[in-house]
Amino acid sequence: MISENQRLERLAERLRAIEAAAPSPAAKIRAWNLVSAGLQKPAAGVARERSGARLLVAGLAASALLVAGAIAAAADSLPDSAFYPVKGTIENLEGAFALTAADQFKHHLTLAATRLREADAMFARHRVDLADQALVGMEDQLTSAAAVVKTVKASDAPVAGSLEGQLQQAVQTHDNQLAGLQGQVTNPTAVVAITRARNRAQEALKVAAAAADHGPGNGNGNSSASASSSDKGQSASGSPSGTTEPTLP
Amino acid sequence: MRVFSKAPADDDRPLVARARRGDQDAARALFERYFDRIYNYVYARLGRVEDAEDLAIDTMTRTLTRLDLFQDQGVAFSSWVYRIAHNATIDHYRRQGKVTLVQLEDANLPQSADPSEMAVERMSNEDLRVAIRELTEEQQQVLILRFFQDLTAAQVAEILGKSVGAVQALQHRALASLERALAGRPVN
Repeated sequence: MISENQRLERLAERLRAIEAAAPSPAAKIRAWNLVSAGLQKPAAGVARERSGARLLVAGLAASALLVAGAIAAAADSLPDSAFYPVKGTIENLEGAFALTAADQFKHHLTLAATRLREADAMFARHRVDLADQALVGMEDQLTSAAAVVKTVKASDAPVAGSLEGQLQQAVQTHDNQLAGLQGQVTNPTAVVAITRARNRAQEALKVAAAAADHGPGNGNGNSSASASSSDKGQSASGSPSGTTEPTLP
Repeated sequence: MRVFSKAPADDDRPLVARARRGDQDAARALFERYFDRIYNYVYARLGRVEDAEDLAIDTMTRTLTRLDLFQDQGVAFSSWVYRIAHNATIDHYRRQGKVTLVQLEDANLPQSADPSEMAVERMSNEDLRVAIRELTEEQQQVLILRFFQDLTAAQVAEILGKSVGAVQALQHRALASLERALAGRPVN
């Protein structure tokens, strides 16, 4: 009869003796090709970021003389930039010119993608607070886009179907990016923020899909109002532009 | 017997610094240093070659494309890579809808007459791998990192964010759970 420790040590030795699983050479070559391809994107991103930073510096100098220079600099600014509030004003102006439902929908999706890029950049700079706010902004924009889909369903089901497809595609793309980010961050607050963003993006899809289940009679604006009203409260801190209530022509 | 001879050393920082500046050779060197290890780690967790390849690629892509996130983490680069691999594995479980496993201590396992008489040497490698995958998340991690990856208790502690003592206790519990699990299996 051997002791427990001896038995467990024997088991540990047996585990050490297991041959390691190794990838095939072909798989390894394929893996490097894929990883290498992935490396090209961030390199371009860094180049853009550096270029953007140079533009920002130039814009700062020009803004002393030209307001237009400041606006140009704000267009690509990030949440930790002094020009970021200007960016919100520009986005609000763009939103005001989105007259049709399709234009408003596109505007919301564009802003959602912008907020996600900002969140990514803020995580990279270890500004979890600003990244969290940017993610809230993304969530709000997706919710607003879903509200547009829901409203359109009341009047034009084929167009609404097309918009819903675009929303699904956008949410899927964002979810993939968020999943990638989630695997990279270790800060618990960041993990919570990303998890919440992924969940709210899925909820937006459900909002858009729910209208179909309830028929066009429910797309009268009342149901979307609840989503939009909560949007406004959150986006006040989550994005420079806030969330605009979808209005139809 | 391992195919990689030694645990990852903490001399990755010069390579990481070069890779962050866009040096492809440095990125390739890091890939060569870690891909097999991560593949082995993920395979031990999932048990499917296709999934292991995909997740190892995903882990290395996440690692090498986001080296900017590594700075000031306060952990060794190798620990960071293993954490990313672990997160990728958890993501995979979520996508597959895998349920959380119960503690083996609480599971209703068939009991053999006397575990001390169990001939672990005669257990097939696959039996052992499958039995490990039935353990809890943390137990799997500690056994795979300690015995498949040849990491020290201190290195595992850094990866799991625990003390060395906690890792040693976890390792003891994991081996005991594995022994009980194996006791309920027929020897091939």
